[in-house]
Order: sequence, then C-alpha cells, then structure tokens
Amino acid sequence: MKEVVLAVEQLTVHRETYTAVQDVSFSLEAGTDTAIVGPNGAGKSTLVQAILGILPRLAGNVFILGQPLSRKGSLAPQIRQQIAYLPQNFLVDRRIPMTVEELVGLGWDRLGFQVPWANSRKRRHAVRDALAKVDALHLKQQPIGGLSGGETKRVLLAYCLVYPRRLLILDEAPAGLDMRGETEFYQLLYQLKLEEGWTILQISHDLNMVRRHCDRVLCLNRTLLCQGTPEVALSPDSLSAAYGSEFVRYHHRC
Amino acid sequence: MQRAMLGGILTGLMGGMLGSLTILRQLSFFSDALGHSALLGISIGLLLGLNPSVVLLPFAVVFALVVTYLLERTRLWTDALLNIIYSSSLAIAIITLSFVGQYKGGLNNLLFGDILAVREPDLVFSAGLLLVCTIFIGLTLRTQMLLTLHEPLAIARGVSVSAHRTAFIVLLSLVVGISIKAIGILFSAGFNLPSGPSIVATQLAIFLTAMALPRLGVLGQG
Repeated sequence: MKEVVLAVEQLTVHRETYTAVQDVSFSLEAGTDTAIVGPNGAGKSTLVQAILGILPRLAGNVFILGQPLSRKGSLAPQIRQQIAYLPQNFLVDRRIPMTVEELVGLGWDRLGFQVPWANSRKRRHAVRDALAKVDALHLKQQPIGGLSGGETKRVLLAYCLVYPRRLLILDEAPAGLDMRGETEFYQLLYQLKLEEGWTILQISHDLNMVRRHCDRVLCLNRTLLCQGTPEVALSPDSLSAAYGSEFVRYHHRC
Repeated sequence: MQRAMLGGILTGLMGGMLGSLTILRQLSFFSDALGHSALLGISIGLLLGLNPSVVLLPFAVVFALVVTYLLERTRLWTDALLNIIYSSSLAIAIITLSFVGQYKGGLNNLLFGDILAVREPDLVFSAGLLLVCTIFIGLTLRTQMLLTLHEPLAIARGVSVSAHRTAFIVLLSLVVGISIKAIGILFSAGFNLPSGPSIVATQLAIFLTAMALPRLGVLGQG
C-alpha cells in the first residue's frame, strides 16, 4: 500500500453563521491526482483552506505526511515546506514592486528567522531552474504586476516547484485563463507532476478534464456525497446528487 | 544641532524601513490615526501630572494593539473605524488639554515637533529602536515580503499572521511615538505615508526652493 500523504477525518468547518463543510473524511495516496467537484458554494475552497490551516476547523483531524495539523493551524516547518498551495484568485496589488525572481525565491525559502542573504547562490540556482522548467526564464526580472494571466500561472507553478514538494493543493488553478491557456496549463502541470512526483488535490469545475486526468474524485456539497474513480463519482446519479438533476440533463445534452 | 541631525537621521531610517511595508500593506491611515492619538496620550500624562514623554510610548503601543483588536473584530470598514477613532481621540485630547490649563511646552511644539529639543536619552532610545527594527525586519524579510504580497499564501507556508502583525504594529507604534518629539504629531502622522527617505528629500526640495525663490523673484522683477 502506498504512503498516505493527506488524511482528513470527520472535518467540520463553520463560516460565520452556517456550516460550510460537515463531517468530511478522505485520504490521498502518494502520487495520485484527486479532484474536488461540486457546485458553487459547496464548500470546496473552505475545505482546502481548512486543510491548510488558513481557516479554523470546528471538529475533525487533518494529517499531512503523517503529522497532525494543530487546532490553531500550525504544522512542523519541514512538513509545511513540502506543501504548495495555489489560491483561486492570485489577486495581488499590482503596485507592489516585486520581480518574478523574488516571488519564485519566496517559494524556496524556509520562512523563519534568517539573514536575507542566506544560501543566496543555492537559491538563485533553484529559482533559475524552476523558471526554466516552466519556460519563463525570460520573465525573471519583470515586475509581477505586469504579467499576463497565463504568465502569472506559469510563475506560480515555478513558485511551487522551486523546492521539492510532495503535496500540491490547487484551488481552481486555471481560473481566468482562456481555453488555450487552460490546455497549456494542464499540459505543463501533468508534465511536472510526472517529473516531480507530486500528489495533487485540486478543485475543478472542468469535469471533462477531471475525467481525463484525475485518479479519484470527491463530490462535495457541504458534505461528501461520494468519492471514487471518475467513472463512479461522475456518474449521472452522483452528479445529480451534487448539482441537481437539471445540471445533469444539461451536461449530457452538451 | 548635532543631536537634531542625528535624531532626524535615525527617525528617517526607521521611517523608511517600516514606512515602505506600511504603505504596501495599506496601513498608512492606521499610522495616521496612531500619530493623532498620541496627543491623547500626552494630554492624559499632563492631566495625571506625569512626564508626557514617559506616558507617550506605552500609550501608543496599547492604543495600537486595541485598534488592531477592534479592526479584527468589527465588521466595519477599516477606514470608517479608523476615522471614528482618530477624530474622537483627537477631540478627547483637546478637551483633556483644556482641563490641564496652560501647558508650558506649548501645543505648537506637540503639533509640529521641535527637533532641536531632542535630548540624549531620546537619541539612545531611537538608536536602540532602529537596531531592533533592523534585526527584526532583516531576519524576517522573506516572511514580510510574502505576507505583504498574499496573506493566504503565507499562512499556507506556516507563517503566523497574527504574531507578525502584532510585532509589526508594536514596532510601528514605537517609531511613531518616538518621532512625535522630533517632527510633531501632524508630521509623524504623515511620516509613514511618504516614508522616511522621501521626507528628507521633501525637506531638501523645500529648502532649495526657499533658496531659489528670492533669486527667481529678483530675476522676475529685473
């Protein structure tokens, strides 16, 4: 049996006045690609944010690489360093004077107390290699505010792969890209997954992409409605339970 | 004169260091409110018969932490809450000052500062604070950059946002507090806005303009 990279046990998360995620349990084996699908407002982003400790949880346990995530969301730094997260919308203030090289470098750093020039040569090499892998070496000195949507996604992938990671959590990573940009993004992602041996947990609305690439699917609508291979979890019955019967009729007609 | 210059340089360096992050994190108005509330700290000190300089710094730190707590708890917009705090603390300070009677230091000195009145203990404290700021910002520079850029990304990497925010706010309030004496409440409030080095540049520009204007006037008349 493969190593379990992420285990979630009976996770419940409250958001202000309502329960956004209730009693969700699942686990991810090393090297697998798992998609979370479900309608808007189903609690998908809330679930991944609670797994990462960005949002507090009401009940349940999260284990990443065998280590428990504390109630306050803290995790051993060496485990944290092996997780990368790409948020739904990477909205940054375009006026922040930071170059692509500096941003990718932040992915390499272990964020504790350290002098700014620590391991600068190793860091520089790692950043250059990562940017070369995503074909963005020419953007190195560019300010991040001037990047296009596609370039930003490539640079964020470089931020993920600049340090060897085990688990990648993507929250609708290709959001905002056109069809071609999305195809290119997934090509690059899966090529890197093979090279780096990443385990991926991603939120996706693109059910065709999920069918093609993912090993497992979690159908979520506040609670976990079903989980399994794409054939099982994306069957008309499961989809109508998650999205409603109208959606399934529409989806099949398309 | 030397003390004034050294005080100005120390304040400018601290302002530049924290001011850049303050602007990028959109905390300029926060430091503005902090600067104006300092008058409340001073007036409370005077009312209690204490040395205003002694009361000022602890008051600034406590005030900053209370405001941060309120900002985290309230559903009000940040600028609305800061405006309420800023104007009410200023009003209370003026009322309190009216009870104190004639303050011999003079309100003008508080509002505009008196850099020539900077004493040696102030310089020692400024130098110590500059050292603390340099060490803290230097050792956590990468974390500060990621926090400023994208908070969720930093949390996902295990950065404790609340601890960093509190440390930064405490340093900022101390820097604003210490700069009150040199550059006054009105300027210290704006001092994080254009950041330290640009204050020096602005002052230089005003100085040069003041030098040049009479000559231009002479040319104009001739």
